[in-house]
Amino acid sequence: MILLFALTIAVLFGCGAYLMLTRDFYRIAAGAVLLSNGANLYLMAAALSNGRAPIHPLPEGATVSDPLVQALTLTAIVITFAVCALLLSLVVRIQTSHDTLNIEDVAEAEVAEEQQRAEAEDT
Amino acid sequence: MTLLVLPLVVSWFAALLCALLDGRRRTVGWLAVALAALLTASLFALLIQVLEQGAQSLIIGGWPEGIGIRLRADALGTLYAAVSLVVLTLALAFEVMSGVVSRTFPALALFLGVGLTGLFLTGDVFNFYVFFEIAMMAAFALASYGEQRAEIRAAAIFTIVNLLGSAFLLIAVAALYRITGTLDMVGIGLVELESRPSLLIATLIFIAFGLKLGLYPFHYWVPAVYQDTRPAVTAILAGALANIGSYGLLRFGGELLPGALAAAQIPLLLLGSLSILYGSLLAVSRRLPREVLAYSSIGQVGYILLALAVGGPVGYAAAVLYALLNALNKALLFLAAELRGPLVAAAFFVGALSTAGVPPAAGFFGKIELFRVGLDAGSAGLLLVVFAGSALSFVYMFQVYQYIFWQPKAPRPTSAGSLRWLALGLAGLVLLLGLVPEPLLEASRAAGKILENAPP
Repeated sequence: MILLFALTIAVLFGCGAYLMLTRDFYRIAAGAVLLSNGANLYLMAAALSNGRAPIHPLPEGATVSDPLVQALTLTAIVITFAVCALLLSLVVRIQTSHDTLNIEDVAEAEVAEEQQRAEAEDT
Repeated sequence: MTLLVLPLVVSWFAALLCALLDGRRRTVGWLAVALAALLTASLFALLIQVLEQGAQSLIIGGWPEGIGIRLRADALGTLYAAVSLVVLTLALAFEVMSGVVSRTFPALALFLGVGLTGLFLTGDVFNFYVFFEIAMMAAFALASYGEQRAEIRAAAIFTIVNLLGSAFLLIAVAALYRITGTLDMVGIGLVELESRPSLLIATLIFIAFGLKLGLYPFHYWVPAVYQDTRPAVTAILAGALANIGSYGLLRFGGELLPGALAAAQIPLLLLGSLSILYGSLLAVSRRLPREVLAYSSIGQVGYILLALAVGGPVGYAAAVLYALLNALNKALLFLAAELRGPLVAAAFFVGALSTAGVPPAAGFFGKIELFRVGLDAGSAGLLLVVFAGSALSFVYMFQVYQYIFWQPKAPRPTSAGSLRWLALGLAGLVLLLGLVPEPLLEASRAAGKILENAPP
Protein backbone atom coordinates (compact mmCIF):
# COMPACT_ATOMS: atom_id res chain seq x y z
CA MET A 1 0.00 0.00 0.00
CA ILE A 2 2.80 2.36 0.86
CA LEU A 3 4.46 1.52 -2.46
CA LEU A 4 1.26 2.36 -4.30
CA PHE A 5 0.97 5.68 -2.51
CA ALA A 6 4.63 6.46 -3.14
CA LEU A 7 4.35 5.70 -6.86
CA THR A 8 1.22 7.80 -7.21
CA ILE A 9 2.78 10.73 -5.37
CA ALA A 10 5.87 10.39 -7.55
CA VAL A 11 3.79 10.46 -10.74
CA LEU A 12 1.79 13.47 -9.52
CA PHE A 13 4.93 15.31 -8.49
CA GLY A 14 6.72 14.49 -11.72
CA CYS A 15 3.84 15.65 -13.90
CA GLY A 16 3.36 18.74 -11.75
CA ALA A 17 7.04 19.63 -11.88
CA TYR A 18 7.16 19.11 -15.66
CA LEU A 19 4.13 21.32 -16.17
CA MET A 20 5.52 24.03 -13.90
CA LEU A 21 8.60 24.26 -16.11
CA THR A 22 6.68 24.89 -19.34
CA ARG A 23 6.00 28.17 -21.06
CA ASP A 24 2.29 28.66 -20.66
CA PHE A 25 0.95 30.22 -17.47
CA TYR A 26 -2.11 28.04 -17.59
CA ARG A 27 0.04 24.91 -17.65
CA ILE A 28 2.09 26.26 -14.78
CA ALA A 29 -1.11 26.72 -12.77
CA ALA A 30 -2.16 23.16 -13.64
CA GLY A 31 1.24 21.90 -12.53
CA ALA A 32 0.87 23.78 -9.26
CA VAL A 33 -2.50 22.09 -8.69
CA LEU A 34 -1.01 18.65 -9.34
CA LEU A 35 1.93 19.35 -7.05
CA SER A 36 -0.25 20.55 -4.19
CA ASN A 37 -2.47 17.53 -4.52
CA GLY A 38 0.59 15.32 -4.49
CA ALA A 39 1.51 16.94 -1.19
CA ASN A 40 -2.01 16.32 0.14
CA LEU A 41 -1.74 12.65 -0.85
CA TYR A 42 1.57 12.48 0.99
CA LEU A 43 -0.19 13.86 4.03
CA MET A 44 -2.74 11.07 3.84
CA ALA A 45 0.02 8.53 3.45
CA ALA A 46 1.56 9.72 6.71
CA ALA A 47 -0.97 7.71 8.70
CA LEU A 48 -1.17 4.46 6.80
CA SER A 49 -1.69 1.81 9.43
CA ASN A 50 -3.67 -1.38 9.76
CA GLY A 51 -6.71 -1.25 11.92
CA ARG A 52 -10.42 -0.84 12.12
CA ALA A 53 -12.13 2.31 10.95
CA PRO A 54 -12.21 4.82 13.81
CA ILE A 55 -16.00 4.99 14.10
CA HIS A 56 -18.01 4.50 17.31
CA PRO A 57 -18.85 2.00 18.76
CA LEU A 58 -15.48 0.28 18.92
CA PRO A 59 -14.86 -3.08 20.60
CA GLU A 60 -12.43 -2.97 23.53
CA GLY A 61 -8.77 -3.38 22.69
CA ALA A 62 -9.19 -3.08 18.91
CA THR A 63 -6.42 -1.39 16.97
CA VAL A 64 -7.75 1.64 15.17
CA SER A 65 -6.49 3.50 12.12
CA ASP A 66 -5.30 7.02 12.76
CA PRO A 67 -8.10 9.48 12.00
CA LEU A 68 -6.11 12.64 12.75
CA VAL A 69 -4.44 12.78 9.38
CA GLN A 70 -7.78 12.58 7.59
CA ALA A 71 -8.80 15.77 9.40
CA LEU A 72 -5.48 17.41 8.50
CA THR A 73 -5.96 16.43 4.86
CA LEU A 74 -9.41 18.00 4.77
CA THR A 75 -7.89 21.27 5.92
CA ALA A 76 -5.05 20.95 3.43
CA ILE A 77 -7.43 20.24 0.55
CA VAL A 78 -9.46 23.35 1.36
CA ILE A 79 -6.29 25.45 1.54
CA THR A 80 -5.00 24.02 -1.73
CA PHE A 81 -8.33 24.67 -3.42
CA ALA A 82 -8.38 28.29 -2.25
CA VAL A 83 -4.81 29.01 -3.31
CA CYS A 84 -5.32 27.41 -6.70
CA ALA A 85 -8.49 29.42 -7.22
CA LEU A 86 -6.52 32.58 -6.44
CA LEU A 87 -3.75 31.47 -8.80
CA LEU A 88 -6.22 30.85 -11.63
CA SER A 89 -7.76 34.28 -11.13
CA LEU A 90 -4.26 35.76 -11.42
CA VAL A 91 -3.73 33.79 -14.65
CA VAL A 92 -6.97 35.30 -16.01
CA ARG A 93 -5.74 38.78 -15.07
CA ILE A 94 -2.44 38.15 -16.85
CA GLN A 95 -4.36 37.15 -19.95
CA THR A 96 -6.53 40.27 -19.87
CA SER A 97 -3.66 42.67 -19.15
CA HIS A 98 -0.90 41.22 -21.37
CA ASP A 99 -3.04 39.50 -24.05
CA THR A 100 -0.81 36.46 -23.83
CA LEU A 101 -0.14 33.58 -21.49
CA ASN A 102 3.32 32.85 -22.84
CA ILE A 103 6.03 33.42 -20.22
CA GLU A 104 8.54 34.75 -22.72
CA ASP A 105 6.15 37.44 -23.95
CA VAL A 106 5.30 38.49 -20.40
CA ALA A 107 9.04 38.64 -19.61
CA GLU A 108 9.59 40.86 -22.65
CA ALA A 109 6.83 43.15 -21.44
CA GLU A 110 8.54 43.28 -18.05
CA VAL A 111 11.91 44.17 -19.56
CA ALA A 112 10.29 46.84 -21.76
CA GLU A 113 8.54 48.39 -18.77
CA GLU A 114 11.77 48.38 -16.78
CA GLN A 115 13.59 50.17 -19.58
CA GLN A 116 10.82 52.73 -19.73
CA ARG A 117 11.11 53.25 -16.01
CA ALA A 118 14.88 53.65 -16.21
CA GLU A 119 14.52 56.19 -19.01
CA ALA A 120 11.86 58.08 -17.08
CA GLU A 121 14.17 58.25 -14.07
CA ASP A 122 17.00 59.55 -16.21
CA THR A 123 15.05 62.41 -17.79
CA MET B 1 -4.22 33.54 29.90
CA THR B 2 -6.47 36.22 28.47
CA LEU B 3 -3.45 38.12 27.22
CA LEU B 4 -2.45 35.10 25.16
CA VAL B 5 -5.83 34.81 23.48
CA LEU B 6 -6.45 38.55 23.16
CA PRO B 7 -4.23 39.23 20.12
CA LEU B 8 -5.82 36.44 18.11
CA VAL B 9 -9.35 37.50 18.99
CA VAL B 10 -8.64 41.18 18.26
CA SER B 11 -7.01 40.36 14.93
CA TRP B 12 -9.80 38.08 13.73
CA PHE B 13 -12.58 40.51 14.57
CA ALA B 14 -10.62 43.44 13.16
CA ALA B 15 -10.07 41.64 9.86
CA LEU B 16 -13.67 40.50 9.56
CA LEU B 17 -15.00 43.97 10.36
CA CYS B 18 -12.81 45.64 7.76
CA ALA B 19 -13.70 42.99 5.19
CA LEU B 20 -17.32 44.09 5.38
CA LEU B 21 -16.51 47.77 4.88
CA ASP B 22 -15.19 49.70 1.90
CA GLY B 23 -11.48 50.16 2.43
CA ARG B 24 -11.18 53.12 0.11
CA ARG B 25 -12.95 55.41 2.57
CA ARG B 26 -10.69 57.28 4.93
CA THR B 27 -12.67 56.42 8.07
CA VAL B 28 -12.45 52.71 7.31
CA GLY B 29 -8.74 52.98 6.57
CA TRP B 30 -8.06 54.77 9.84
CA LEU B 31 -10.27 52.26 11.70
CA ALA B 32 -8.07 49.51 10.28
CA VAL B 33 -4.92 51.35 11.39
CA ALA B 34 -6.38 51.83 14.88
CA LEU B 35 -7.26 48.14 15.15
CA ALA B 36 -3.81 47.15 13.92
CA ALA B 37 -2.26 49.47 16.51
CA LEU B 38 -4.45 47.87 19.18
CA LEU B 39 -3.27 44.44 18.04
CA THR B 40 0.37 45.58 18.19
CA ALA B 41 -0.13 47.01 21.67
CA SER B 42 -1.67 43.76 22.91
CA LEU B 43 1.28 41.84 21.48
CA PHE B 44 3.72 44.15 23.27
CA ALA B 45 1.78 43.63 26.52
CA LEU B 46 2.03 39.88 25.97
CA LEU B 47 5.75 40.24 25.24
CA ILE B 48 6.34 42.09 28.50
CA GLN B 49 4.38 39.45 30.39
CA VAL B 50 6.31 36.63 28.72
CA LEU B 51 9.69 38.25 29.39
CA GLU B 52 8.81 38.68 33.06
CA GLN B 53 6.98 35.45 33.79
CA GLY B 54 8.24 32.97 31.23
CA ALA B 55 6.41 31.23 28.43
CA GLN B 56 2.63 31.11 28.49
CA SER B 57 0.86 28.10 27.13
CA LEU B 58 -2.77 27.18 26.61
CA ILE B 59 -4.52 24.25 24.97
CA ILE B 60 -7.48 25.49 22.98
CA GLY B 61 -10.89 24.19 23.95
CA GLY B 62 -9.68 22.65 27.17
CA TRP B 63 -8.78 19.38 25.46
CA PRO B 64 -6.23 17.16 27.16
CA GLU B 65 -2.56 17.50 26.34
CA GLY B 66 -1.50 15.65 23.22
CA ILE B 67 -4.98 15.94 21.71
CA GLY B 68 -5.76 19.63 21.67
CA ILE B 69 -3.96 22.37 19.75
CA ARG B 70 -1.51 24.27 21.89
CA LEU B 71 -1.07 28.02 21.82
CA ARG B 72 2.32 28.94 23.14
CA ALA B 73 3.75 32.42 23.66
CA ASP B 74 7.44 32.34 24.42
CA ALA B 75 10.01 35.10 24.00
CA LEU B 76 10.94 34.03 20.46
CA GLY B 77 7.45 33.94 18.98
CA THR B 78 6.11 36.96 20.82
CA LEU B 79 9.11 39.13 19.94
CA TYR B 80 8.74 38.24 16.26
CA ALA B 81 4.99 38.87 16.40
CA ALA B 82 5.39 42.27 18.04
CA VAL B 83 8.02 43.55 15.57
CA SER B 84 6.22 42.15 12.51
CA LEU B 85 2.97 43.77 13.55
CA VAL B 86 4.75 47.11 14.11
CA VAL B 87 5.92 46.97 10.48
CA LEU B 88 2.45 45.93 9.30
CA THR B 89 0.74 48.77 11.18
CA LEU B 90 3.17 51.38 9.88
CA ALA B 91 2.91 50.17 6.29
CA LEU B 92 -0.90 50.14 6.56
CA ALA B 93 -0.84 53.69 7.94
CA PHE B 94 1.45 54.73 5.05
CA GLU B 95 -0.96 53.39 2.48
CA VAL B 96 -4.02 54.85 4.18
CA MET B 97 -2.32 58.27 4.22
CA SER B 98 -1.41 57.91 0.54
CA GLY B 99 -4.95 56.93 -0.37
CA VAL B 100 -6.14 53.34 -0.64
CA VAL B 101 -7.15 52.39 -4.19
CA SER B 102 -8.80 49.07 -3.56
CA ARG B 103 -11.77 48.04 -1.47
CA THR B 104 -10.06 45.17 0.24
CA PHE B 105 -6.60 46.48 1.12
CA PRO B 106 -7.11 47.18 4.86
CA ALA B 107 -8.94 43.88 5.32
CA LEU B 108 -6.17 41.98 3.54
CA ALA B 109 -3.52 43.64 5.66
CA LEU B 110 -5.45 42.70 8.81
CA PHE B 111 -5.89 39.12 7.59
CA LEU B 112 -2.14 39.04 7.12
CA GLY B 113 -1.95 40.24 10.72
CA VAL B 114 -4.18 37.32 11.76
CA GLY B 115 -1.91 34.87 9.97
CA LEU B 116 1.26 36.35 11.44
CA THR B 117 -0.11 36.51 15.00
CA GLY B 118 -1.36 32.94 14.76
CA LEU B 119 1.78 31.40 13.40
CA PHE B 120 4.10 33.16 15.83
CA LEU B 121 1.97 32.21 18.82
CA THR B 122 1.15 28.60 18.02
CA GLY B 123 2.74 25.50 19.46
CA ASP B 124 1.40 22.96 17.00
CA VAL B 125 3.06 22.31 13.64
CA PHE B 126 -0.10 21.79 11.60
CA ASN B 127 -1.71 24.86 13.15
CA PHE B 128 1.49 26.66 12.11
CA TYR B 129 0.89 25.47 8.54
CA VAL B 130 -2.73 26.66 8.59
CA PHE B 131 -1.86 30.16 9.85
CA PHE B 132 1.07 30.22 7.43
CA GLU B 133 -1.37 29.61 4.58
CA ILE B 134 -3.75 32.30 5.88
CA ALA B 135 -0.88 34.79 5.91
CA MET B 136 0.29 33.69 2.46
CA MET B 137 -3.15 33.95 0.87
CA ALA B 138 -3.50 37.47 2.20
CA ALA B 139 -0.01 38.22 0.89
CA PHE B 140 -0.81 36.82 -2.57
CA ALA B 141 -3.81 39.10 -2.82
CA LEU B 142 -1.86 42.04 -1.38
CA ALA B 143 0.90 41.57 -3.94
CA SER B 144 -1.60 42.35 -6.69
CA TYR B 145 -2.81 45.53 -4.95
CA GLY B 146 -2.91 48.32 -7.48
CA GLU B 147 -3.77 45.88 -10.25
CA GLN B 148 -1.57 47.35 -12.93
CA ARG B 149 0.37 45.04 -15.24
CA ALA B 150 3.46 45.10 -13.05
CA GLU B 151 1.59 44.20 -9.88
CA ILE B 152 -0.26 41.34 -11.58
CA ARG B 153 3.03 39.88 -12.80
CA ALA B 154 4.56 40.23 -9.37
CA ALA B 155 1.57 38.55 -7.74
CA ALA B 156 1.65 35.65 -10.23
CA ILE B 157 5.36 35.00 -9.65
CA PHE B 158 4.96 35.36 -5.89
CA THR B 159 1.99 32.98 -5.78
CA ILE B 160 3.56 30.26 -7.91
CA VAL B 161 6.87 30.24 -6.07
CA ASN B 162 5.30 30.27 -2.63
CA LEU B 163 2.81 27.59 -3.54
CA LEU B 164 5.79 25.36 -4.17
CA GLY B 165 7.20 26.29 -0.77
CA SER B 166 3.89 25.52 0.92
CA ALA B 167 3.73 22.09 -0.70
CA PHE B 168 7.19 21.31 0.66
CA LEU B 169 6.26 22.55 4.13
CA LEU B 170 3.16 20.36 4.13
CA ILE B 171 5.22 17.33 3.17
CA ALA B 172 7.70 18.11 5.93
CA VAL B 173 4.90 18.45 8.51
CA ALA B 174 3.37 15.16 7.37
CA ALA B 175 6.75 13.44 7.59
CA LEU B 176 7.35 14.86 11.07
CA TYR B 177 3.98 13.51 12.20
CA ARG B 178 4.75 10.13 10.69
CA ILE B 179 8.02 9.64 12.51
CA THR B 180 7.21 11.32 15.82
CA GLY B 181 3.51 10.54 16.18
CA THR B 182 2.62 13.97 17.49
CA LEU B 183 1.94 17.43 16.12
CA ASP B 184 2.84 19.32 19.28
CA MET B 185 6.11 21.25 18.95
CA VAL B 186 7.11 20.46 22.51
CA GLY B 187 6.35 16.80 21.93
CA ILE B 188 8.31 16.65 18.69
CA GLY B 189 11.31 18.25 20.36
CA LEU B 190 11.35 15.44 22.92
CA VAL B 191 11.55 12.61 20.39
CA GLU B 192 14.97 11.26 19.43
CA LEU B 193 15.08 11.37 15.64
CA GLU B 194 17.29 9.21 13.45
CA SER B 195 19.65 11.20 11.33
CA ARG B 196 18.52 10.31 7.81
CA PRO B 197 14.79 11.07 8.10
CA SER B 198 15.47 14.21 10.09
CA LEU B 199 17.96 15.42 7.46
CA LEU B 200 15.41 14.87 4.70
CA ILE B 201 12.74 16.72 6.63
CA ALA B 202 15.20 19.49 7.47
CA THR B 203 16.06 19.88 3.78
CA LEU B 204 12.41 20.30 2.85
CA ILE B 205 11.88 22.79 5.67
CA PHE B 206 14.99 24.70 4.62
CA ILE B 207 13.69 24.92 1.06
CA ALA B 208 10.25 26.06 2.20
CA PHE B 209 11.52 28.78 4.54
CA GLY B 210 14.46 29.71 2.33
CA LEU B 211 11.96 30.46 -0.43
CA LYS B 212 10.02 32.65 1.97
CA LEU B 213 13.11 34.46 3.15
CA GLY B 214 14.74 34.96 -0.22
CA LEU B 215 17.97 33.13 0.56
CA TYR B 216 20.34 32.12 -2.20
CA PRO B 217 19.57 29.84 -4.15
CA PHE B 218 15.87 30.52 -3.61
CA HIS B 219 16.21 34.23 -4.22
CA TYR B 220 15.11 34.48 -7.83
CA TRP B 221 11.63 35.77 -7.14
CA VAL B 222 12.76 38.59 -4.83
CA PRO B 223 13.93 41.24 -7.33
CA ALA B 224 10.86 40.78 -9.53
CA VAL B 225 8.35 40.90 -6.68
CA TYR B 226 9.98 43.60 -4.53
CA GLN B 227 10.33 45.91 -7.51
CA ASP B 228 6.88 45.57 -9.01
CA THR B 229 4.57 45.70 -6.01
CA ARG B 230 3.32 48.92 -4.46
CA PRO B 231 5.80 50.39 -1.94
CA ALA B 232 3.62 49.81 1.13
CA VAL B 233 3.12 46.19 0.07
CA THR B 234 6.87 45.77 -0.50
CA ALA B 235 7.49 47.09 3.00
CA ILE B 236 5.01 44.53 4.33
CA LEU B 237 6.58 41.69 2.32
CA ALA B 238 10.16 42.55 3.25
CA GLY B 239 9.50 43.61 6.82
CA ALA B 240 6.76 41.30 8.06
CA LEU B 241 6.44 38.33 5.73
CA ALA B 242 10.13 37.51 5.43
CA ASN B 243 10.13 37.15 9.23
CA ILE B 244 8.11 33.97 8.77
CA GLY B 245 11.10 32.53 6.95
CA SER B 246 13.64 33.31 9.65
CA TYR B 247 11.24 32.32 12.46
CA GLY B 248 10.53 29.01 10.74
CA LEU B 249 14.23 28.25 10.35
CA LEU B 250 14.87 29.13 13.99
CA ARG B 251 11.90 27.23 15.39
CA PHE B 252 11.99 24.15 13.18
CA GLY B 253 15.77 24.02 12.98
CA GLY B 254 16.70 25.13 16.45
CA GLU B 255 13.96 23.53 18.49
CA LEU B 256 12.50 20.63 16.53
CA LEU B 257 15.42 19.33 14.47
CA PRO B 258 18.60 20.43 16.26
CA GLY B 259 20.50 17.32 15.18
CA ALA B 260 19.91 18.07 11.52
CA LEU B 261 20.87 21.72 12.04
CA ALA B 262 24.15 20.73 13.66
CA ALA B 263 24.88 18.20 10.90
CA ALA B 264 24.21 20.71 8.15
CA GLN B 265 26.38 23.47 9.59
CA ILE B 266 28.96 23.68 6.81
CA PRO B 267 26.47 23.78 3.90
CA LEU B 268 24.39 26.38 5.72
CA LEU B 269 27.44 28.54 6.37
CA LEU B 270 28.37 28.29 2.70
CA LEU B 271 24.86 29.17 1.52
CA GLY B 272 24.68 32.09 3.94
CA SER B 273 28.02 33.45 2.71
CA LEU B 274 26.93 32.99 -0.92
CA SER B 275 23.73 34.84 -0.19
CA ILE B 276 25.59 37.76 1.41
CA LEU B 277 28.13 38.05 -1.39
CA TYR B 278 25.64 37.54 -4.21
CA GLY B 279 23.12 40.00 -2.82
CA SER B 280 25.67 42.66 -1.96
CA LEU B 281 27.64 42.44 -5.21
CA LEU B 282 24.50 42.59 -7.35
CA ALA B 283 23.16 45.47 -5.27
CA VAL B 284 26.33 47.43 -5.99
CA SER B 285 25.87 46.88 -9.71
CA ARG B 286 22.23 47.99 -9.91
CA ARG B 287 20.84 51.48 -10.25
CA LEU B 288 17.11 51.68 -9.64
CA PRO B 289 16.47 52.08 -5.90
CA ARG B 290 13.85 49.36 -5.40
CA GLU B 291 16.05 46.88 -7.30
CA VAL B 292 19.07 47.70 -5.14
CA LEU B 293 16.97 47.30 -2.00
CA ALA B 294 15.66 43.95 -3.26
CA TYR B 295 19.18 42.60 -3.79
CA SER B 296 20.13 44.10 -0.45
CA SER B 297 17.36 41.99 1.14
CA ILE B 298 18.89 38.87 -0.39
CA GLY B 299 22.22 39.84 1.11
CA GLN B 300 20.93 40.72 4.56
CA VAL B 301 19.12 37.44 5.11
CA GLY B 302 22.38 35.62 4.49
CA TYR B 303 23.62 37.03 7.79
CA ILE B 304 20.66 35.47 9.59
CA LEU B 305 21.55 32.08 8.12
CA LEU B 306 25.20 32.48 9.16
CA ALA B 307 24.23 33.20 12.77
CA LEU B 308 21.72 30.34 12.76
CA ALA B 309 24.24 27.87 11.38
CA VAL B 310 26.80 28.69 14.06
CA GLY B 311 24.12 28.24 16.70
CA GLY B 312 24.67 28.22 20.41
CA PRO B 313 23.30 30.94 22.69
CA VAL B 314 25.27 33.69 20.95
CA GLY B 315 24.34 32.46 17.47
CA TYR B 316 20.61 32.12 18.03
CA ALA B 317 20.35 35.47 19.82
CA ALA B 318 22.30 37.16 17.00
CA ALA B 319 20.05 35.54 14.38
CA VAL B 320 16.89 36.81 16.11
CA LEU B 321 18.32 40.30 16.64
CA TYR B 322 19.56 40.61 13.05
CA ALA B 323 16.29 39.32 11.58
CA LEU B 324 14.20 41.84 13.49
CA LEU B 325 16.54 44.77 12.84
CA ASN B 326 16.59 43.84 9.16
CA ALA B 327 12.79 43.84 9.10
CA LEU B 328 12.66 47.36 10.56
CA ASN B 329 15.42 48.59 8.24
CA LYS B 330 13.80 47.24 5.13
CA ALA B 331 10.41 48.67 6.04
CA LEU B 332 12.01 52.09 6.60
CA LEU B 333 14.04 51.95 3.38
CA PHE B 334 11.21 50.79 1.14
CA LEU B 335 8.85 53.43 2.51
CA ALA B 336 11.38 56.30 2.54
CA ALA B 337 12.60 55.53 -0.99
CA GLU B 338 9.21 56.61 -2.34
CA LEU B 339 9.06 59.98 -0.64
CA ARG B 340 10.63 63.30 -1.44
CA GLY B 341 10.96 66.47 0.52
CA PRO B 342 12.74 67.88 3.56
CA LEU B 343 14.04 65.39 6.11
CA VAL B 344 13.07 62.29 4.07
CA ALA B 345 16.71 62.03 3.06
CA ALA B 346 17.58 61.96 6.76
CA ALA B 347 15.12 59.13 7.36
CA PHE B 348 16.53 57.13 4.44
CA PHE B 349 20.04 57.90 5.68
CA VAL B 350 19.25 56.39 9.07
CA GLY B 351 18.02 53.24 7.34
CA ALA B 352 21.15 53.16 5.19
CA LEU B 353 23.39 53.49 8.26
CA SER B 354 21.46 50.74 9.97
CA THR B 355 21.87 48.36 7.01
CA ALA B 356 25.56 49.08 6.80
CA GLY B 357 25.95 48.66 10.55
CA VAL B 358 27.16 52.13 11.43
CA PRO B 359 26.40 53.65 14.84
CA PRO B 360 24.21 55.26 16.15
CA ALA B 361 21.67 53.33 14.09
CA ALA B 362 20.36 50.05 15.48
CA GLY B 363 21.99 47.91 12.79
CA PHE B 364 25.31 48.54 14.50
CA PHE B 365 24.32 46.20 17.31
CA GLY B 366 23.17 43.60 14.82
CA LYS B 367 26.59 43.66 13.20
CA ILE B 368 28.34 43.60 16.59
CA GLU B 369 26.43 40.45 17.52
CA LEU B 370 27.36 38.88 14.20
CA PHE B 371 31.04 39.67 14.75
CA ARG B 372 30.66 38.11 18.19
CA VAL B 373 29.23 34.98 16.57
CA GLY B 374 32.22 34.85 14.24
CA LEU B 375 34.67 35.24 17.14
CA ASP B 376 32.73 32.64 19.13
CA ALA B 377 33.02 30.18 16.27
CA GLY B 378 36.69 31.04 15.93
CA SER B 379 36.38 31.31 12.18
CA ALA B 380 38.35 33.93 10.30
CA GLY B 381 36.43 33.18 7.11
CA LEU B 382 33.16 34.05 8.79
CA LEU B 383 34.49 37.37 10.04
CA LEU B 384 35.86 38.12 6.60
CA VAL B 385 32.50 37.44 4.94
CA VAL B 386 30.62 39.59 7.46
CA PHE B 387 33.13 42.40 7.02
CA ALA B 388 33.06 42.17 3.22
CA GLY B 389 29.27 42.18 3.23
CA SER B 390 29.17 45.22 5.50
CA ALA B 391 31.64 47.11 3.33
CA LEU B 392 29.63 46.31 0.19
CA SER B 393 26.38 47.30 1.88
CA PHE B 394 27.93 50.63 2.79
CA VAL B 395 28.84 51.13 -0.88
CA TYR B 396 25.46 50.32 -2.36
CA MET B 397 23.52 52.19 0.29
CA PHE B 398 25.54 55.29 -0.44
CA GLN B 399 25.02 54.78 -4.17
CA VAL B 400 21.27 54.50 -3.77
CA TYR B 401 21.12 57.49 -1.42
CA GLN B 402 23.05 59.52 -3.96
CA TYR B 403 20.80 58.32 -6.79
CA ILE B 404 17.58 59.27 -5.04
CA PHE B 405 18.43 62.35 -3.01
CA TRP B 406 21.36 64.07 -4.73
CA GLN B 407 19.77 64.54 -8.13
CA PRO B 408 20.72 67.85 -9.72
CA LYS B 409 17.81 67.52 -12.17
CA ALA B 410 14.19 68.46 -11.44
CA PRO B 411 13.11 66.54 -8.36
CA ARG B 412 9.73 64.91 -7.87
CA PRO B 413 7.15 66.94 -5.94
CA THR B 414 7.35 66.96 -2.17
CA SER B 415 5.33 64.19 -0.58
CA ALA B 416 2.56 64.82 1.91
CA GLY B 417 3.66 65.94 5.34
CA SER B 418 1.98 63.05 7.15
CA LEU B 419 3.87 60.49 5.05
CA ARG B 420 7.15 62.20 5.80
CA TRP B 421 6.37 62.23 9.50
CA LEU B 422 5.67 58.50 9.35
CA ALA B 423 9.04 57.83 7.72
CA LEU B 424 10.74 60.10 10.24
CA GLY B 425 8.96 58.28 13.07
CA LEU B 426 10.22 54.91 11.85
CA ALA B 427 13.71 56.36 11.45
CA GLY B 428 13.44 57.74 14.97
CA LEU B 429 12.52 54.26 16.21
CA VAL B 430 15.59 52.77 14.51
CA LEU B 431 17.78 55.51 16.02
CA LEU B 432 16.21 55.00 19.44
CA LEU B 433 16.90 51.28 19.27
CA GLY B 434 20.47 52.14 18.37
CA LEU B 435 20.89 54.52 21.30
CA VAL B 436 19.02 52.35 23.84
CA PRO B 437 19.51 48.81 22.59
CA GLU B 438 19.21 47.00 25.92
CA PRO B 439 15.52 46.01 25.71
CA LEU B 440 15.87 44.50 22.26
CA LEU B 441 19.17 42.83 23.15
CA GLU B 442 17.69 41.32 26.31
CA ALA B 443 14.63 40.11 24.45
CA SER B 444 16.69 38.53 21.68
CA ARG B 445 18.92 36.83 24.24
CA ALA B 446 15.84 35.45 25.99
CA ALA B 447 14.62 34.18 22.62
CA GLY B 448 17.99 32.59 21.87
CA LYS B 449 18.02 30.93 25.29
CA ILE B 450 14.74 29.18 24.48
CA LEU B 451 16.32 27.49 21.48
CA GLU B 452 19.48 26.73 23.38
CA ASN B 453 17.52 25.15 26.24
CA ALA B 454 15.30 23.06 24.03
CA PRO B 455 15.68 19.39 24.97
CA PRO B 456 18.23 17.73 22.68
